[in-house]
Amino acid sequence: MALLQISEPGKSTMPHEHRRVIGIDLGTTNSLVASMISGSPTILNIDNKSNLLPSVIHYSKDNILVGNDAKKLLSKDPKNTISSVKRLIGKTIGDINQDNFPLNLEDGDGVINIKTSIGIKNPIEVSAEILKSLRTVAEKKLGGELMGAVVTVPAYFDDAQRQATKDACQLSGLNILRLINEPTAAAVAYGLDKKSMGHFVIFDLGGGTFDVSILNLTKGLFEVLSTHGNANLGGDDFDQAIVNFLSHKYKLNIKDIEIQSTISILAKEIKESLSNNKEVEVLKVINGKEIQETFTREQFKTLVDDLIKQTIEATKSALNDAKLSTDEIDGIIMVGGSTRMPCIQEAVKSFFKQDLLNDLNPDEVVALGAAIQANILAGNGQEDLLLLDVTPLSLGIETMGSIVERIIPRNTTLPVAMAQEFTTYQDGQTAMSIHVVQGERELVDDCRSLAKFTLRKIPPMVAGAAKIKVTFQVDTDGLLSVSAEETTTNVKASIEVKPSYGLSEDKIKTMLQSSYDLAEEDKNSRILAEAKVDANQLIELTQKALDTDKDLLTESELSQIKNGLKDLINALNSSNKDKIKEATKKLNSQSEPFAAKRMDRSIQKALTGKSINKLEL
Amino acid sequence: MTQNYFELFNLSEKFEIDSEKLQENYRSIQKEIHPDRFATSTENEKIQSMIKSTHVNDAYQTLKSPIKRAKYILSLHKSVEKITLPPNFLMQQMEWEEHLEDIEQSKNELVEFKEAISKEYEQCFLLLKTQIDIEKNWNEAAITIDKLHFIEKLLNKIKITLN
Repeated sequence: MALLQISEPGKSTMPHEHRRVIGIDLGTTNSLVASMISGSPTILNIDNKSNLLPSVIHYSKDNILVGNDAKKLLSKDPKNTISSVKRLIGKTIGDINQDNFPLNLEDGDGVINIKTSIGIKNPIEVSAEILKSLRTVAEKKLGGELMGAVVTVPAYFDDAQRQATKDACQLSGLNILRLINEPTAAAVAYGLDKKSMGHFVIFDLGGGTFDVSILNLTKGLFEVLSTHGNANLGGDDFDQAIVNFLSHKYKLNIKDIEIQSTISILAKEIKESLSNNKEVEVLKVINGKEIQETFTREQFKTLVDDLIKQTIEATKSALNDAKLSTDEIDGIIMVGGSTRMPCIQEAVKSFFKQDLLNDLNPDEVVALGAAIQANILAGNGQEDLLLLDVTPLSLGIETMGSIVERIIPRNTTLPVAMAQEFTTYQDGQTAMSIHVVQGERELVDDCRSLAKFTLRKIPPMVAGAAKIKVTFQVDTDGLLSVSAEETTTNVKASIEVKPSYGLSEDKIKTMLQSSYDLAEEDKNSRILAEAKVDANQLIELTQKALDTDKDLLTESELSQIKNGLKDLINALNSSNKDKIKEATKKLNSQSEPFAAKRMDRSIQKALTGKSINKLEL
Repeated sequence: MTQNYFELFNLSEKFEIDSEKLQENYRSIQKEIHPDRFATSTENEKIQSMIKSTHVNDAYQTLKSPIKRAKYILSLHKSVEKITLPPNFLMQQMEWEEHLEDIEQSKNELVEFKEAISKEYEQCFLLLKTQIDIEKNWNEAAITIDKLHFIEKLLNKIKITLN
């Protein structure tokens, strides 16, 4: 069968062509982008000076500034300059302490609204601006449109925060290949470079989040044994300790936004300077008050002692969960700019009684690992590496008395599905509500509400007769989906999801549409081009699958797929976007049993040790 | 999809298994079918890879844990009935719990207690091996599984107290 080849530059699916992909570390304080260049992960620099893009956005009538230009306006125009947006993403107003943000925040529907002079912005839109900026940098440096990106999130992020991050990617026009945990990305960067094996601790103290994870690395396989941390602990808190000390001693009014911004910047300078110097002299006038101080490392250590202890406690918990003791640890990888602080290095070193791995730049490690992973997912590299991640938090449902029943415990390897059976408690009951929560605590109120699912169309029966099997699936990005079925009648119950946090799918769609300031015509040609790319890929891969595994199909199955292929090729020639989409969908569903059989064959071959090229798609 | 977990990993259906082979085969399989291998593939392959990978994870977790593995073998052979633990074991449970509370503060005694309970665990484990692999006495095995389950939880409690 002669196959039509239409491919757009940068979007070709030819197996040997290098696909342009990037890794992004979307940080609280700074963000980075990296890509594989000539076989090694490389940070793409932002403006030919720095590798770091400050995660700060400034909104004004004239333009949107991102990075350093926005950062300069932090103290001048604090209401319209948004920093640390990662602390707001996937949250509602009740989750945060508004005093920590010099912004006008208010309750939106499932999100936090940020009131700026040009209107209301939400954290997803703000994060999308950072991602857009990184995307532009990458497209310029790599010379063309990107095929996809791996974006990192703290291991401790819950479902709502992960979903919101994914939504931000979509809004920025990036095709997301996978969300991976930051510490995992760090280990990828170290593991591949150093060919390490054993149990590793990833100690990640960033600007706004702290994560500690225990990983087991063997034979090109990364397994996360446990993760712990605090989504509200980071370098910013160490700055705050200095801010509190100074404002108390010099009676500075930190309620005044300008004073707060100035003193925060000063505190950060003091902290960073103490990483290189044993003591720092400070002489500065703030709001007419002269500040004169000599800071020593010891003094700083006393101010932040409680914060250091918190990191060590979390490390202990992670070890407990992984059922390991300190002497079973083969290495400690230090990640995040805040691990440059000598007091942190000393504390971790003395807790584990061994030297630390910190030879890669702690600011860059995560982005480098993400770039390596993106390259593997795109099928560019030959690396025999597989990342097995775990659920960061337990998933449960609300039962009588607001008690949580755990369905999927934390640290379960992904992807995972667990089924739970429910029954009706009234005669003829046709609907039922399930409240899904995430967290480790016993009471619903102490956990995070994820969503309320309403099951409808349950066949009416006497109370207790219906058996409703509800399946909770968590995919490799750590995101939850739910399906339900009445098992005695095999009737699928329909599910309405009301997410407790974040945006509904419709809202995302509206945001996406309004973000495209394209003319209707351009929009249509874009959709047609995308449909063609998808169709071509499906044709090519189906053809390849048939070449190797045709023998798995019965005559009728084979002719069905061949017909589907023909229909899709005809649709392509028509250049009608709806026809192409429909034919693609049809062939996809026709090929599903074939894909299942091929998967089974792969399992068999994996165990007989035969190499199979057909899966290296 | 309904393939026997032991067959899936190419192992014989026994309580005593080669855990290294289990781990190795698990990894070989995941390397082929994990969704990461299909990140740029077609929709139908993405879906199938997700389904299979989930199934393989479930099977692996079941066989990896001795208690889950034992329960799984039993489920292949008999319908699970409600079992009652012998009264003397219930007494023993209470004594152990009380003892742990009493020695909470003493590291030495905790270490000693941990060793004693580890021995109990090993004994139960050996017994289960005989009951399942040799005697095929499913009813007695069901009781031993429950005991083992309790002892495992107790051991974890001791370890956490120690740390």
